[in-house]
Amino acid sequence: MKQRILFFTGLMVLAFSVPAWAHFQMVYTPESAVQKTASDLNLKLVFTHPFGAGHTMDMGAPQDFFVVAQKGEDGRKKRTDLMGYLKPITWTSLTNSGKAYEATVPKKIVRSMGDYVFCLVPEPYYEGEEDIYIQQITKMVMNVSGLPGNWAEPAGLKAEILPLDKPYGLWTGNVFRGIVTSNGKAVPGADIEVEYMNHAPDMKKNKFEKRANVRKIPNDAFETMTIKADGRGMFTFGIPKAGWWGFCALGVGPDKLYKGKEMSQDAVIWVQAHDM
Amino acid sequence: MRKIFITMALLAFGLVFAGQAPAHTPMCDCFDNGDDTVTCEGGFSDGSSAAGVVMHVMDSSGKALLQGKMNQDSEFTFEKPDGPYKVKFDAGEGHKIEINGEDIVE
Repeated sequence: MKQRILFFTGLMVLAFSVPAWAHFQMVYTPESAVQKTASDLNLKLVFTHPFGAGHTMDMGAPQDFFVVAQKGEDGRKKRTDLMGYLKPITWTSLTNSGKAYEATVPKKIVRSMGDYVFCLVPEPYYEGEEDIYIQQITKMVMNVSGLPGNWAEPAGLKAEILPLDKPYGLWTGNVFRGIVTSNGKAVPGADIEVEYMNHAPDMKKNKFEKRANVRKIPNDAFETMTIKADGRGMFTFGIPKAGWWGFCALGVGPDKLYKGKEMSQDAVIWVQAHDM
Repeated sequence: MRKIFITMALLAFGLVFAGQAPAHTPMCDCFDNGDDTVTCEGGFSDGSSAAGVVMHVMDSSGKALLQGKMNQDSEFTFEKPDGPYKVKFDAGEGHKIEINGEDIVE
């Protein structure tokens, strides 16, 4: 019992000691590679600290939320606006509760075979500690049946990571590679934060589970990992553990100001690895 | 000796006319649209299109009810038959998929 108290205290200390970044916008579903769509798709949109299930920031109303789907690499691309399916929710992490959103996308929209590239353009978040706005333009790719589609193609976002490996088709131990872009052009040397979703999201209760998959890290460098893109804007990350991994290229977007203050317009993509 | 030669010749003949060995797995799935129509969509595991693939709709005894082709979007929509039925995606030898009507849901 004492050990557990110490452990949770330690977690809380970690959660409050992280730098202003390590914020990660989530667009979450439990499974990104499905054989067949069984029902309506429930997505959770949460702005939080996924490794420690730490502070959850209040989201404002999203500016845009849509999906671009393609069945087969020669298929017609279909863009569907998802704003109408958004519903405000409260998301509870280990330290607090914050304003978030969920979307229940009707089965008919996600039943076809192929790729679904979900894109969220959130309202910029004011980070008081740094007196700066943060806007994390986020992608998550789902696949139905295994038939590939547009997973590698740009969705036309201002700040966007273009995958070179299927975000939904990774085994633990595979590398995930991507190219960081700003208005479609590669960003050499971009700083990228990488964070593992260490606490399973509870889809029914809208909260993170208390149980951490990874309980010990050598130091804070392992909570939010930082890597750099190379001279071509490309990065490579070897995935050591099954689950969801977020990649956030910091401040790469073209919009540098919002409401008269500095803004960090980041490109985020979530990928999922499965154990063989 | 002659027998071996004939066998070899036949084999070679067969190989030449066997056509391209397909490198992709066929895929097909169907949905009940809830308005008395059914839509089937198809594709191949390498992402290539199934446009033009022949579609058969048969009753449970195998008797043909209707026939059509996948359109440009690799989709085929038809009037849902009364009674039990089967759908067949026919992309050639080794590339056929049969789906039971009772497995087709909304």
